[in-house]
Formats: sequence, C-alpha cells, structure tokens
Amino acid sequence: MSDFYENKTRRLTFTISIVIIFIIFTFRLIQLQILYADVYGKKSEANSIRQIAHDPIRGLMLDRNGLIVVDNHPSYSITITPAEYKEDILEYIAKLLNLDTGFISDKIQKGKKYNRFAPIKIKRDVDLKTLALIEENRDKLSGVSYEVESKRYYPTTARATHLFGYTKEISDRQLTEMGNEYRPGDNIGATGLEAAYERYLRGQKGFELVTVNAFGQVLGSYNEGKNDIPTREGSDLYLAIDAKLQALAESLLTDKRGAIVAIDPNDGGVLALVSKPDYDLTLFGSVTPPEVWNALTTDESKPLFNRATLTRYPPGSTFKMVLAAAALEEGIINTNWRVNCTGVFHYGTKIFHDLHTHGSTNVIEAIQRSCNVFFYQLMLKTGLERWSRYGKEFGFGSPTGIDILEENPGLLPSEDYFDRMYGKGRWTQGYLVSLGIGQGEIGVSPIQMACYAATIANKGSYHTPHAVLKIKDKLTGDMQIVPTETRKLNISDKVWEILREGMYRCVNEPEGTGQAAKVKGITVCGKTGTAQNPLNRDHAWFIGFAPIEDPKIAICVLVENAGFGGAVAAPIAGLCIEQYLYGGLIRNNPLQVISASNIEHEQNIIH
Amino acid sequence: MENLFKENIDLKILIPIILLLIISIISVYSATYDAGASIYFKRQLLWAGIGLLIMIFIMFIPFRTIQLLSYPLYGLSMIFLIAVLFLGKMIAGSKSWFGIGGFGLQPSEIVKVTTILALATYLSQGQHVLNRSRNITVPLVLAILPAFLIVLQPDIGTAIVYLGMLLIILYWAGASNLLMMIFLAPLAAAIATLFGTTPFFIVIVLTFFILLFFKENRVAAALVFSITVLISVSTNYIFKRLALHQQNRIITFLNPDADPLGAGYNVIQSKIAIGSGGLFGKGFLQGSQTQLNFLPAQWTDFIYCVPGEEFGFIGAFTILFLLMFVLYRCVQIATIVKSRYASLVTIGIMSVLAVHIIINIGMSMGIMPVIGLPLPFLSYGGSNLLTNMIMTGLLLNMYLNRKEY
Repeated sequence: MSDFYENKTRRLTFTISIVIIFIIFTFRLIQLQILYADVYGKKSEANSIRQIAHDPIRGLMLDRNGLIVVDNHPSYSITITPAEYKEDILEYIAKLLNLDTGFISDKIQKGKKYNRFAPIKIKRDVDLKTLALIEENRDKLSGVSYEVESKRYYPTTARATHLFGYTKEISDRQLTEMGNEYRPGDNIGATGLEAAYERYLRGQKGFELVTVNAFGQVLGSYNEGKNDIPTREGSDLYLAIDAKLQALAESLLTDKRGAIVAIDPNDGGVLALVSKPDYDLTLFGSVTPPEVWNALTTDESKPLFNRATLTRYPPGSTFKMVLAAAALEEGIINTNWRVNCTGVFHYGTKIFHDLHTHGSTNVIEAIQRSCNVFFYQLMLKTGLERWSRYGKEFGFGSPTGIDILEENPGLLPSEDYFDRMYGKGRWTQGYLVSLGIGQGEIGVSPIQMACYAATIANKGSYHTPHAVLKIKDKLTGDMQIVPTETRKLNISDKVWEILREGMYRCVNEPEGTGQAAKVKGITVCGKTGTAQNPLNRDHAWFIGFAPIEDPKIAICVLVENAGFGGAVAAPIAGLCIEQYLYGGLIRNNPLQVISASNIEHEQNIIH
Repeated sequence: MENLFKENIDLKILIPIILLLIISIISVYSATYDAGASIYFKRQLLWAGIGLLIMIFIMFIPFRTIQLLSYPLYGLSMIFLIAVLFLGKMIAGSKSWFGIGGFGLQPSEIVKVTTILALATYLSQGQHVLNRSRNITVPLVLAILPAFLIVLQPDIGTAIVYLGMLLIILYWAGASNLLMMIFLAPLAAAIATLFGTTPFFIVIVLTFFILLFFKENRVAAALVFSITVLISVSTNYIFKRLALHQQNRIITFLNPDADPLGAGYNVIQSKIAIGSGGLFGKGFLQGSQTQLNFLPAQWTDFIYCVPGEEFGFIGAFTILFLLMFVLYRCVQIATIVKSRYASLVTIGIMSVLAVHIIINIGMSMGIMPVIGLPLPFLSYGGSNLLTNMIMTGLLLNMYLNRKEY
C-alpha cells in the first residue's frame, strides 16, 4: 500500500501532463484570439455561411386514366425580414396589404423569436397589382420582399372535396411535434389524401448556402452553389378514381345531402367518393379567409363532414344479404325454405309491417322483392350471434381502413352489446326482429356498404379500400405500388350464387325493387334499402355491382331524407355504372331519370 | 467553527466548480437568447440547483457505504444500459435516452461513475500485480462492457471516455510502463498512419526508442514493437480498401477543414466565434456568431465558443484555468487520501473530466476531431450536469474522509 503513494513518478506524470495541455490550449487561445483576432474578426463580420431553405413542389394527384386532378399554380407571398424591417413603414404596409397593423406586428414578434433573419410570410397569395406596388417601392420598403410559392389547383370538374382534402399553414403545436422538418409558415396536409399522404406529397426542402455579413444580409452564393442541397419534389399519387365518374356522381347529388362510393371489386381501389354538400377546395388553395371558414363550420348542412366515411345510419334492407348469407352458410335454410308473406308479422304483442303482400317467398325472391316478413322470420331462426358474426365478416362495426384516415366504425350489435345496454337476460328476441331488415340499433357508413357490395361482387374477397394505387418518386422515377390487403370470407360459392341471383333479379326482373338501376346492355345487380328516420324523411340506400359476369364496379349510394331507396338511390347508381363501364352516358335523357326519381311515383318500387 | 468548515470541505475544488456553474448559466442564457429558448436557461438553472443538492447529499454518505455499494450499483447500471437499447428514445440518431415525463434521461452518463467505483473497488483489493494477464482481464471487462453497450447506441464519444478512464486508472493503480506501451503505442501508430507516412515513421521511431529503455524485458518490448508496426500497417491496408465515402468520413473526422459544410462547418464557425472574440470579447449578448445562431445547438457541445466570443481571451482563459485547476486538484486529493480505493475513485473522476475537457475544448478550437462530448459543468444538459455534480460530491466525500483507510 505504502509504495503506491510513494510513487511520485505517477503523480508527476499527471501533473506535467495537465500543465502541458494547459500550455498547449493557452497557446492556441492566444493564437486564435490575439494573434489572428483580426482575421477571425473580419471573417465573422464579413464572411459567414448561412443556409436558406427552399420549399419543394408538392406532389400531384392523377386519376386512373392519368389525368391530373390535383395540380399546382404559382402564388406570391409577401414576406418581412424582422432584422431589416423598420417600424415606420408598418402603417403603409398594412394599408397596402389591407391588413391589421396589430396582426403584422404580432407576426413579426413571433418570427423574431425563431430567427430574426428569416423572412416571415405576412400575406399569402397576393394579386399581381399588389406585387407590382411592392416591387416599385422596394427601396423604401426595407425588409419587405416576396416569395413564389405554389398553391393547389384543380384542373378537372371533379371536386372530390373530401377525398383530396386541403393543406393549411402548420400550427404552433404541429411545429413542436414535427421538429426540424417544418418551419413556421409551411403548409401541411390537413384533411383527406393531402393529410394521409403528407409524407409523400411534401418532398424535401432544399438548402442554398450563401455568404452573409454580420447583419445577416446575403452577399452571394457560397462556393458557386456547389454545396447546395437541391429541393426534392414531392411524390405524385396515382389514384384509383375515375375523374369523369367522380364528376358525374357529384352532379347527381347536386342540391342533395348524401354520399356515393364506388370501388373496384378486384382490388378495393376507390373509383369515386362523393359527399354532398361539399365545398370548393380552391378556397383553401393557399390561405383561407376567416369568413369562408366560419361560413363552412356554421353551415347547418355540415359541408365539412365527410358523409361517405363518417355517417352512421341504419342500412335498411340492403343489409338483408348478410342475414341470408348467415342462414344459408350455417345450413339453417336453403332455397326450398319458404315463408308465406301476408304483409304483417306478429311477434308477441308487436306487429311488424311489410309494404306488400308477397305470398310464398324463398330467399332469392325475398331479396328480389325485399320481403320483410321473410327476413323477420329468418332473423328469429338464425339468431343474433350468427347474424352479428357474419356482419363482422363483411366488415361492419369496424373501420374499413381506407387511406383517408377519418372514418366512423359504425355499430354492429352483438349479444355482448345488448347485455351491456339492457342487462343480461333483460332483452328478448323481439329486439332482433327489426335488425333482420337492417333497422334499429345498427349503424353503417357508405364506404362500408361499398366494400360489402364489392365482397358480394367478387364472391368473398374483402379488399381494404384505398384511394391511392401507386406513388411515383419524382427523383428516381420509381413507382411504388400500394399493396392491396385482402381478407377471404368463409362463405361457400353456392351461397354467393344465391345472393347474386337475388340481387340480379332485384334489378332485372319484374317485381324487383331496384329496377331503376337498370342499364342497357349491362347486367347490373343491386339491392335497395330505406333507413327509417324517426325525425325526418327516410334515407334512401342502394348498393350494387356490375356486370355480374365480371364485376368491375361496386357502388353504394346514400341520399339523406329522400325517401325510398329504389326510387331515389337506384337510378343514381345506374347512371354511375353506365358512366364507368361505357366511359360516358349512352341513354338519351339521363337527367330525366333523376328528376323523375325525385317524385315517388312508382308504387311497386319500395324498400 | 470556521476551521472545522475548512477542515472538512475542500474549497479548492468547490469554488472553481461553482464559478464554472455560474459561467455555464450565463453562457446558456446568451446562446439561447435569440432563439426564444429561455426554457433552456431556466432548466439549466434548475439542474444546477438540483445538482448542488445531490452533491451535498453524496458528500455526506458514509465512506464505507459507497465502497460496499460499488459493485451492486455497477450491476444495476449495466441493466439500465441494456434496457435503454430496447426501450430508449431516438434522439439525433442515437438511442441513448429514457423519456421520463418531459425530460430525457441518459443512463450512459451516470454509468461513468458506477464504472469508476467498480474499477476502484477491484483494483484496491489486495496487491494486484497488474502485469499478470489474469489481473488485467477483470478491469478490462469492467470498462469495456459499458463502452461496448454505448457504442451500440451508437455514441463513440462516450466510448472513448471509457478507454481514457481505463488507461489512466490502470496507470495510477500501478500498471508498468511496458503495459501502458502495449495500449498506447499501437493506438498512436494507427492514428498517425491515417495522417500520412511522415507521422507514421515519427511514431514508429519514437516507439522504438522508448522501448529501448525497457532493458529488463527485451523480449516483451520487441513484441510490443512488432504489434505496433503490424497494427499501423494493417490500418493503412484496411483504410485503402474502404469505400471512398467511408475514407472521406475518416478524413473529415481527423481534419474537419476538409469538409467545410459538414463536420467542418461547425469547427469553422466555432473558430471564427472564438477568434473574433479577441482579447476582451464583444460583450455579453453582443457576439454576432452566437446571436446569429451560426452554430446549431451551440448551448450543448460548442458552449465554449460563447464565452470565447463574448468575453474574449480573458473569459476563455479563465474557464480553461478553472477546469485545469480542478484536474490538478483531483491529482492532489488522490495523493492526500489514505485509502487506495478513495485514491483510485478520485483519479477515475479526474480521467473522465480530463477526456471531456481535452476533446471538447480541443474540438472548439479546431485542434481535435469533432466528437460529440459535452464540456463538464458548462454544457447544457441535465444528465451530464447531474453526473458531474455527483462526481464533485464524491470528490468532496473522498476529501472529507481522507484520513480513513
């Protein structure tokens, strides 16, 4: 132990080392701060490198035929650099830009905190006249400049408001969450595909290296721009939608409230997604005036609300195929099982009505004619557990997973649900009777219904619906294909054939409730539905697909407060199918079909 | 009373450290003044306060308790290091943080202390003859295990700290000069090789002449020399076979000037900041380099150029002097204390501080590679400051108990 302390050499080694390092560092400090202080002083005054960020061009969106549906146009934003700006021009600038002086001061204060040498956007999307005025008075307006940005532009008549979505200026909260990738004043996808595919659409900022003096003023580019990082353009989205179909579907719901969703039964690609009323996306092109925003948020018809994915209405008779599938697949009935429909159904003390007397009916005819009595009885025979299980198989009660993020899972009651709501054993089979015809405590969205129709069309493959088919990287040219997620339903071919036969007859044979959906030369299959609405007029539903031989489109139409599905929704679906499969409308008087359908005249078209 | 105070508290270590803390808070305030980041200043103030309390607490822990807890604490900290690899948060490409509430906690910081304690415990038990390979193995494993786990995060800087710590503690514990040569000569030769042929020959010749002094063990000396030559030649061989961008990365690491916009950008800006400070500096909050945010996150690794620019040579030299004095005082304490354990702990702490100080200040002045290591007591950062204050507490504790065996 003792020799350990007596080892003076080791202590000396350390002491000398510390002194040597101290001397070396001191010499270096003298060299930097005294001998070469002038050189570095000049460097710090006159010649420093600074990065200037450049915004990338946002990716475009194209429809399935390669038509550009979401494009960019240049837009000019007026900027102020706080470090160069002087208070005395505030009044003038405010007048010129028609802005509040307080608003401008506030923006400058905020920007100062971030970096007082970075220009802040004061007003976006100014007209060319204002721009010219700014340019003329440039020498007086120190610190005021402009930036060219791009704003969204929609070249086709397809608005697809809720599908495309809009971008808006990034909020303070998002800014702290996103970290380095965004700067104040940047745009970020807020709704629809703009938000869901933000990561792909936005691209990457580029950086230009410039030399600046101690006041942050730019003197010139650094190293002839050799070290600049170029901007990377955002990726383009290749959508499944057909712009023409989308535009037609939108026009068919003009002045109505409702939704249309069409999907490709082969891969789940969204061919059209309409929610009405909608709003003009160009209002959000670069900056949204507060009065426009207020009008949209307070509008009683809720144009901001995406009815295609967020509504939750009972499906009415369109849901009957779920019950039929459950009963057939579980071997509870076959096509020989018949019910004699007398137009009423007694259960305990309750009476459930049908609108017609259908007489002796089997499952195919019951779908064709939408016989309620048949399905009341079938529901009691099948039971809630099976019905609920098959409903779940078809994707009800849970989100479809469509790539536009906002979605309502809806409600598919199960035994558990009733136990929770009413207490175990406190509910009877009588609660179920209405569910048999898709009424009561059940809620579905149009996107779920379109997927359901597609699953019947392709005989049992549930594809997760998706609006984007491919993503194109602009730099490498690589096309990334968005994979289709598919789940196979456990239902036999025989059962599918029965359902499809019923749906075929529903549109194409006498006594079918969906005849208004008929299209010349195409075998359309479908099912009508009317969702009872205790508060107002009923909601009209139609689901269908075509052609039966090789389905290319599956569709769901919902028209709120319009009455019968067969009268209002079916003809709209027919026109959409015609448009998509023929590439245009071939009938002579398409508009007449719609106006006629508004009058509920055809008494045989019900439920 | 006054005597009792002086008797028990080593003011020669406490006063410089408190001065450094004050400079730290002023510098962090200045570096984050414009960025609207006064939250950094408030946090640093909070950390300094908490740090002082922890320091006082550690100072009064019974000396034996620390000794007894050394191994268990080391084991516990290894578990933390492994856990952070799986559960840690990614910050700046490195997975070395635990997120707790709004604060991040970096276990690799505190592990430095537990490793020192474990090494000191092992090397103070009985009389180890350090030239026997068996006795070398345990301390080697004790230091390399945490270093390895940290490299996985990956954090090269902290791993280098462990290497420095190991060598310095071993030397203090009585490792022979020949053993030190086994570690140092190949390392120096390998680095010299990367700088070119002339530095390579200088190191080789130097190694040769130093080894001539080991008269009693010529065979071992010859072995060390051949290993040194072999390693530097193979370093050269491997380097030439690396992909061009990998070669460039090593070149800019050793010579930041070669890459004025990557690693070099920071060094150039840092040198401009310090150099333009001149003799008296530009004044508090007047440094254009600091205030214009030329250096990203200057309040962390490049904190030294803030006082360097704003208070000039006077400020920078004062800080350098205070830091070097702390190191010097550590060596003094290590000789005053009676216990071999206390002496080794003190030297261990000195080694960790020294590696941080040399690399950080050297980097800021452009004479060391850019390695992300904070400057002790000055850089912004809770985990690091708390660790430094724990080490200060230990130094004071060792001094307080200097008469114990």
